[in-house]
Parts: sequence; structure tokens; C-alpha cells
Amino acid sequence: MVGGRIASVERGRSMMPAMKSTLDYSLWAVVLALAALFICAGAAKLGDPLEFADTIAGFGILPAALINLLALALPMFELGCGLVLLVPRTTRIGALAVALISVVFFSALLSALLRGLVLDCGCFGNGAPSRPRMWLELGLDAMVFSGALFVYRRLFRSDGNARPAL
Amino acid sequence: MSFAPRIANSHPEPPSRANRIAHRVALDLGGVLLVALISLAAGLSINRFSARPLPLVYKTPEQRFDAELTSLVTAPPLALPPSPTIGLPEFRAAVQAKSALIFDARPAQFFTQGHVPGALNLARDNFAYDYRQLSSILKPANDKPIIVYCSGGVCHDSRLVANALLTLGFTDVSVFTGGWEAWSAAGLPVSKGAVR
Repeated sequence: MVGGRIASVERGRSMMPAMKSTLDYSLWAVVLALAALFICAGAAKLGDPLEFADTIAGFGILPAALINLLALALPMFELGCGLVLLVPRTTRIGALAVALISVVFFSALLSALLRGLVLDCGCFGNGAPSRPRMWLELGLDAMVFSGALFVYRRLFRSDGNARPAL
Repeated sequence: MSFAPRIANSHPEPPSRANRIAHRVALDLGGVLLVALISLAAGLSINRFSARPLPLVYKTPEQRFDAELTSLVTAPPLALPPSPTIGLPEFRAAVQAKSALIFDARPAQFFTQGHVPGALNLARDNFAYDYRQLSSILKPANDKPIIVYCSGGVCHDSRLVANALLTLGFTDVSVFTGGWEAWSAAGLPVSKGAVR
């Protein structure tokens, strides 16, 4: 076990600086993209919580007692995720939050698609209900999950906070 | 071949890798939960000071429309602006010429017992439901004359319904003040049944 750890450290030391720098840049590119996506998504939903509550109700998953609470909290949570991602000390928590919420979004969309519903997911404010768009947004959720998982694993392994190597 | 000497001689084991990972993931999940709680508190606080706050329990668009319609006919009668009124001769002429939509604002059981021929029941006490039922007739009649009546005398139902219709965008709405009492006392024709 100890030998394995030493080997891992050695591998890390012997990693070529250019490769490490590329990884740092790609990590920060993903972090910035996720943060921008979540800040935009949260801000777009803040304007009309009633409309967003109707969108959530359209999924037919939550009881009436939880719909408005989610309509009020989710835009703030998305904004919060974006901001937490941007702060180096909390990027890892932000990445985990984004990964978890994208699983929730993915499950809700997939369940609506499997039930034959035609909805506007309300992901970025209000739009026209469309099944092709729902599939696209399902793909986007999968990409967001992959990106967030990449960031989380990377920061988890590096045992620390995200700091850009600029 | 015993393991005992080896265990006794070994250094104290550091926390296993799985334990360390579980501990860190738990800490991160705690952070996520904290972000979620702060978001909920912020959302509720913003909603509290919003110009149009959401109620805590969700209502469907139909439920909201019903509540809005119901609120239109629950205003205190004295607070209502005076609606245009007509007397029995004008009302009788409009009924005979079928030149206006006639609405009976009384409760359904009174309407069933007897109403003005051609009248439709738009009851004040069931306004939201009746309005939705009659929407196919009402929507194309935005500028058609509408006359509303109730029992007569001091009844306020016709005024409340007329005022609600004016608020909903109907422009030519008047109240037959004599109401059912004046119509039936004059021995004019009467229809019975639950025509809506």
C-alpha cells in the first residue's frame, strides 16, 4: 500500500510540466464553463418564479407542497453553485453540487420523455415545449455531469483546492 | 505460521484509504447541503419581499384563475362602482328581441325553479365554475350587450357579477334592477330547468 503511494507520487513528480499545465488549463476551462452555465441558468429563472413553478408542475413528479419551494430555491442554488465553483477553496464542493443536481435534472427529463410528455424544461427561462429540445437538454445534463465529475475527481485526487496554474 | 507476532510488531495503522475518501466525500456533501439550505433561505427571503410573492403551496393555473374570478365577486357591495341599470320595459324588449346575453346571477337551485327565457345561469356563488362553463359563449361576446339580474329588491348578486364582467373586459354590461321578482310579478313567460 505504501509502495503504491510512493509510486503514485513518483508518477506525479515525473509528469511532464507541459502536460500538467494543459490539465490545469482544461480543468479551469471546465470550471469556468460550468460556472457560467449555472449562473446564466439561475439568473434566467429568477425573473418569473410563478412560470418556473408551472414548468416544474408540468413534470408531474413533485407534490404541490414542494413545487413552489423548489421554484424559489433552485435558481438560487444554481447561482450558488456557479459562485462556489469560482472560489478556489470551494470549487470541489461546487463540482459535487453540480454533479448531483445534473443527475436530478437528467432523471426528471428522462422520466418525462419516457412518459411521452412534451415540456419546456425551464432550464434557461421559458421556451416552447419541444421533445427534440428535451433530448438535447438531456445530452447537456450528461455533459454537465461528466464535466463536474472530471473537476471533482481531479481536485479530490490533488487533495486540495483548485488554484489556476497561470 | 502464526500472524500474531507480525501484528504486534507493526506500526499503528493509519486510517484506511476508503475511510479517508468517505470522510472527505461526507465533508463535501455537507458543503453541498449548506449551499442548498442557504439557497432555500435566500429564495424564501426574496419571495417575502417580492411584489408578487408565491404562496408556499403551488396552485395550478386553473386554480389561480378560479381564485381570481372568485375574488372578483366577493368585493363588499358598497365598494362597487355603480353599474348601468335598466328597467322592466327595456329588459323585456331585450329578452323578446334576443338582442342581449341575459345572465341570472342567482344560485343554481333558484335558477332551476324558474328563470327568464333564454337566460343563462352565471351564479355569483359559483362564479368561477359557471364562467369557465360559459366561456365559449362569453368569449365571442366581448362587445355584445349583457344584462344581469338576480332576485330583485336588495340583492347584490347581479351588481357583483356585472362588475366582475366589466373587470374581465366586457364593455356593455347592465343590471336589471327589478330582477326575478319584477319579472315573475308581471306574469311574463318563465322557463324552468337547469339550462346553462
